[in-house]
Amino acid sequence: MGLFILRRFGVMILTALCLTFIVFWLTNLAPNLEKLAKTQGNARMSDEAVQTWLGNRGYLQPLPIKYGQWLGVVPGYVIEGTDGEVRGRCIDPRRPDDETPRFCGILQGDWGFSTVAKEDVSEVLPTRLANTGKLMFWVMVVMVPGALIVGVLAGMREGSRTDRTLSTASIVSTATPEYVSGVVFIALFATSAFGMQWFKGSASSAVQDATFENFFLPVMTIALYGMGYIARMTRASMAEVMTAQYIRTARLKGVSFPKIVLKHALRNALIAPFTVIMLQIPWLLNGVVIVETLFTYQGFGWELVRAASNNDIEMLLGVSVISVFVVLLTQLISDIGYVFLNPRIRIS
Amino acid sequence: MTQSHNPIHPAALMYAEEAKAGKLSRREFLTRTTALGVTASAAYGLLGMTAPAHAAGHAQQGGTMRMQMEVRALKDPRTYDWTQIAYFTAGWLEYLVEYNSDGSFEPMLLEGWEVNDDATQYTLNVRRGVMWNDGTEFTAEDVARNIEGWCDRTMEGNSMAGRFAVLIDESTDMAVEGGIEVVDSHTVRLNLPASDISLIAGMSDYPAAIVPAGFNPDTMLDNPVGTGPYMPESLEVGVKGVIVRNEGHDWWGYAAGKGAFLDRIEYIDYGQDPSAWVAAAAADEVDMTYETVGDFVDIFESIGWERSEVASGATIAIRPNQLAEVDGIRPYADKRVRQAIAMAVDNAVCLELGYSDLGEVARNQHVGPMHPAWADVPGLPYDPTKALELLTEAGMADFEMEITSIDDDWRKNTTDAVAAQLRDAGFNVKRTIIPGSTFWNDWTKYPFSSTNWNHRPLDTQILGLAYRSGEAWNESGFANAEFDALLAEANSIADADARREVMGKLQAIMSDEGVTIQPYWRSLYRHAKPGFVGWDMHIAYLPQIYKIGLAA
Repeated sequence: MGLFILRRFGVMILTALCLTFIVFWLTNLAPNLEKLAKTQGNARMSDEAVQTWLGNRGYLQPLPIKYGQWLGVVPGYVIEGTDGEVRGRCIDPRRPDDETPRFCGILQGDWGFSTVAKEDVSEVLPTRLANTGKLMFWVMVVMVPGALIVGVLAGMREGSRTDRTLSTASIVSTATPEYVSGVVFIALFATSAFGMQWFKGSASSAVQDATFENFFLPVMTIALYGMGYIARMTRASMAEVMTAQYIRTARLKGVSFPKIVLKHALRNALIAPFTVIMLQIPWLLNGVVIVETLFTYQGFGWELVRAASNNDIEMLLGVSVISVFVVLLTQLISDIGYVFLNPRIRIS
Repeated sequence: MTQSHNPIHPAALMYAEEAKAGKLSRREFLTRTTALGVTASAAYGLLGMTAPAHAAGHAQQGGTMRMQMEVRALKDPRTYDWTQIAYFTAGWLEYLVEYNSDGSFEPMLLEGWEVNDDATQYTLNVRRGVMWNDGTEFTAEDVARNIEGWCDRTMEGNSMAGRFAVLIDESTDMAVEGGIEVVDSHTVRLNLPASDISLIAGMSDYPAAIVPAGFNPDTMLDNPVGTGPYMPESLEVGVKGVIVRNEGHDWWGYAAGKGAFLDRIEYIDYGQDPSAWVAAAAADEVDMTYETVGDFVDIFESIGWERSEVASGATIAIRPNQLAEVDGIRPYADKRVRQAIAMAVDNAVCLELGYSDLGEVARNQHVGPMHPAWADVPGLPYDPTKALELLTEAGMADFEMEITSIDDDWRKNTTDAVAAQLRDAGFNVKRTIIPGSTFWNDWTKYPFSSTNWNHRPLDTQILGLAYRSGEAWNESGFANAEFDALLAEANSIADADARREVMGKLQAIMSDEGVTIQPYWRSLYRHAKPGFVGWDMHIAYLPQIYKIGLAA
C-alpha cells in the first residue's frame, strides 16, 4: 500500500514536470512573449522596444535555462538592462539586496510572480482556490445527494415509469453543457424578460458574501451537469445489483422492498458511483472555468482564463501544477477508497 | 499672481469678436482661448456670458460610488495605454491642466499659463499652496522634473515623448538643453526650438499624471505620494480597486472648491462583455458604468439608469496599409485602389450598422467639426460603380482583400459593414476577426484593418500621431512629403482661423489619397443609477473623479 502511494506520487511529479514543460514551451513562443511585452509595457510599443523589454527581463534566454530557473535548478538570471537598471529573477524589492538567493524556483518554494496580478503566484492562487473550494463545496452538497437519490430511484425498478422519467431528465441535464445551461439560467432567472428575476446573474459579490440569491445560479449550472452523469452511473449500478442472486434470494425470503434497497442493494450499488464522483472532480474543474467566467466569480477557473488570455507565464504554470495535483490526488483517493468499499480488490 | 491679473492674449480678444460674430462656435472658442492661457470663466466673460455653474453645488459630502471598470495593473503613468489605469491613480496623482468636454482647458496644479504669439515659449505658473501628501510643498522643480521625464524617449513605451516631441533633442533622446527653465519657485518656462500649439493639450492627457520625486512605479501602491485627495486602499488587478479619502491630507482643491465629495470609490471589473455589466447593474453591484457602448445604451436605459452623452472625436479608422505586402505585391500602394475602397463605402451605413446611429457621419479625414481649425472640405463621393471601374483600371479586381478587426461589438460590426459594402460593389473581400488578447500585437501591420482612436483636443494632433511619415502609430503606412510639410506649418500656427486654411489642404489630401475610411464620430455614453451628480461622460475619457458625488 505504501509503495503504491509512493509510486503514485512519482507519477504525479513526472506528469507535473511534463505538463509544466509543455505549458512553459507554449507560453514562451515568440508571439506570446510579444503579447506579454505589449500588455505589460505599452499596447502600442514598437518592435525594437519589445525586444529590449524582453531582453531586459530575461525572456530571451534559451528555453531550457528559463525552465530550469523556474524549477530552481539553475541560478536565477541577473541582467543589467539597456536602461542601466539591474533586474534579476530573485531580486525582490521588499528584501535587502544582500539576502537575494541564487536559486528561486518552485523547488525553493517560490512560485514566481504573476505579471497580470502584480503579486506573487503563491499569494494569488490560494485566494482563488479558496473561492473555487467554496463553489465546489456547494456544488457537491447539491450534486452528490441529488444524483444518488435520482440514480437509486431510477435503478431500483428498471424500466418503470419513474426510471424512464428520471433517466430522460438525467440525460438532458448531462447533455447540456454549462455554457448553454448557464446562459439559459441567466436569461430565465436574472433578467426581467420572463418575470422571474429571482436570482443574480453576477456572482462577484459572492466572493465576499455568498447568499442564496447570488450563488444559486452558478452552483446549479455546474451541479446539474455532473448530476445527470452520476445519476446515470448510479442507476446502471443499481439496476445491475437488483438483478443479482442474493437480492432475488432476499425477495424470496419475503424481505420488504424498501429494506432490500436500503440494506442489501445500496452499499454494493454505490461502489461504481464513488469512483465516478471522485473522477468527476477534475471534470468539474472544466465547468468551473466556464461558470466562473460567465458569472464573473473570481476563482481558480477565472484565474486560468485571465492568465491564459494575458500570457501570464508563471501563473499558468502554477495553475498547471495544481491541476495535476488535483487530478492525480482524486484518482489516488478513488483507488484507495475502492479497496475499502470492495473487498474483492486488493492493492498489493 | 493669479491668472486673472495677467493680460489677456491678444488672439483671445480676436476670437471673442469672431465668436460674437458667429464665425466661431462656443466650444472652438473655449478650446482656443483657454489653450492660450485664458481661464475658462474669463473666456466665458469675453463672450459676455457667465461660466456654467458646476453640478458640484448639489452634491453631498461623503458616500461611496462603485463603478464598473476594467481594473488594470499600475505602471509608470507615462506608459499608460488605458485610461482605466488613470481612473485609479487620479485619486492621488493629479494633472497640471484639465481638459473639459466643452473644449476648455482649466488649470489644476498650474495656476495659469501664457503662450507667446508664435507658440515657441510657454510660461507655466505653478499653483501656490499645493502640498504633496507627505507634507512637502509642490514647486516649479516638480513640474520641471515631470516634463523632463516626459521628454525621455529612451524609456520603453513612454507615450508622453510623442506629445512633447518638439522639446526632445534627436541626438540624446532627452529634453533639449535649456528647453525647460525653472524661473523661480513657482514659475517654469518652456523654450521650444520650434512652434508647437499642442503642449497644453498634451499636459491634460491621461498619461501626464504628475509624480513625486523618486517615483518608482513598482512601489507606487505601498508609497502613494501624490497631491490628490484620495489614496489607494486595495488593488486586485482584474477584480477590484478601491481608493479612499486621504484623511490626513489637506488637498488644495478643498479650498478651491473643487469637490472630491465621495469618501470611497470602488472600481469593479466585470471583464469586457457588456452583458456582464448589465447583470452587475441589475444585481445592484455597481452604481455606474465606465462607458456604455452600442445596443447596451438602450438596455441600460430599460433598467432605469440615467444616461450621459457627449459627442466626441473618438472614432474608428478602417485603413489599408500602403506598405503592407500581400503575396509579393503592395496592393494598397496604388492610389486608385484606395480611392476605390473609399468610394465603395457609404459612411452613413457604417454608422447605422456599426454603431446604431449613435454618432455623426465623418468624411475619412480624421479631423472633424469638434476640432478648432476644422475646414469644411468635401470627401470623396459615394459611387460604387466608379469604385469598381477604378479598381479594375488598377488591375486589382481579382485581388482578395483581407480585412482584419478585433473581436468586439462595434468595431467588428463597423468593419463588417465596410466589408459587406465592398462586396456589394463587386470587390473580393475576406474578413478575419482576431481576439482582443492578440489583436494589438500587430495592429499597425495588418494589410487592411480597423483601429479605434480616441478624441484629441486639437485638429493637428491625430494627424501628427497617425499619418505623419514614419510615426510609430502610422498604421496606414502613409508617407507624403507635402502632407508632412503642411502639417509642420499648421503646427506653428496658434491662430485657428489662419490654421484652417492649411487644415483644408491637409484634409483634402486625406480624402484624395484615400488614406483611410474614417466613417463616423462616436458619441460616448455612460450610465448611472439615479442619485449621483458630476459623473458625466468625458469627451476624452479623462478621469475627473473628484467631480462625482451623491446628489444632495
